[in-house]
Amino acid sequence: MSGILTDAELVSRALTGSDAAFSRLVERHQAAVRGFLRRALGGGWAEADDVAQDAFLAAWRSLRSLKDPAGVRPWLCGIAWRKAQDRIRSSRRGAARDSVWLETVDTPAGVSHEDRLSMAAAMAELPPDVRACVALCLADGWSHGEASAALGLPLGTVKSHVARGRARLLKALGGSDDA
Amino acid sequence: MTPEQKLQALFAAETPPARDYAFQAQVAQRIALRRAWMTVAALVPWGVAAVAILWALIPVVGPLGEDIAALVPAAGMLAGAAVSAGAALWLSRRFSAA
Repeated sequence: MSGILTDAELVSRALTGSDAAFSRLVERHQAAVRGFLRRALGGGWAEADDVAQDAFLAAWRSLRSLKDPAGVRPWLCGIAWRKAQDRIRSSRRGAARDSVWLETVDTPAGVSHEDRLSMAAAMAELPPDVRACVALCLADGWSHGEASAALGLPLGTVKSHVARGRARLLKALGGSDDA
Repeated sequence: MTPEQKLQALFAAETPPARDYAFQAQVAQRIALRRAWMTVAALVPWGVAAVAILWALIPVVGPLGEDIAALVPAAGMLAGAAVSAGAALWLSRRFSAA
């Protein structure tokens, strides 16, 4: 199978029973889904990967419900978001446990460990909906409309969530209140 | 670095690698497991139907019991072999769909 197949073609093949085609979709979109979940869940990366696996399994089961085969990524992130919401509701973890995994992560050049901790704390304090909007629009560069469709939130809500989340994160990293 | 640059750097640090074969293998393994369970579940109705048919045939086959009794061992072996072969063929086709 060549690497130039479109998402729609891969979906079409997966619907006929091709596990190889679905694996190709996983390969193509795993980074986006896992990155989104790492930021939206705010916990350890292992938990985010676990939810991502659940999301891909759910996607495999409900592939026929995909209305727009070319829009696989927003559809996958929507499924991942619903799985993440279930996980957030079912496991309210302590902040101390949440911050332990940060010790194992490399800090980017030019950013202090304190900045990383401040950022993690600020993300953890954001409501889940706001975190999800921030993760998609600020971290991954999605448009407000795309995030609105994937998360099932009104466009205006997404815009206000992104603005509010951005201001809080920048403030935690040393910016002003109106950043 | 400005707070905006720090924000982008921290977001970028959380991005997983573009390819992660271990993750893909774990997803594939879970899909294979789910497919196997679905296959087993799909066989259940056929098993129920076979039992119902055999039960319905008891009044017909019962009076012939003594004559058939002599053929039961051989018929059982043949039926078992046929079922095994059919199941193996069906399962191999199903799992070679990829």
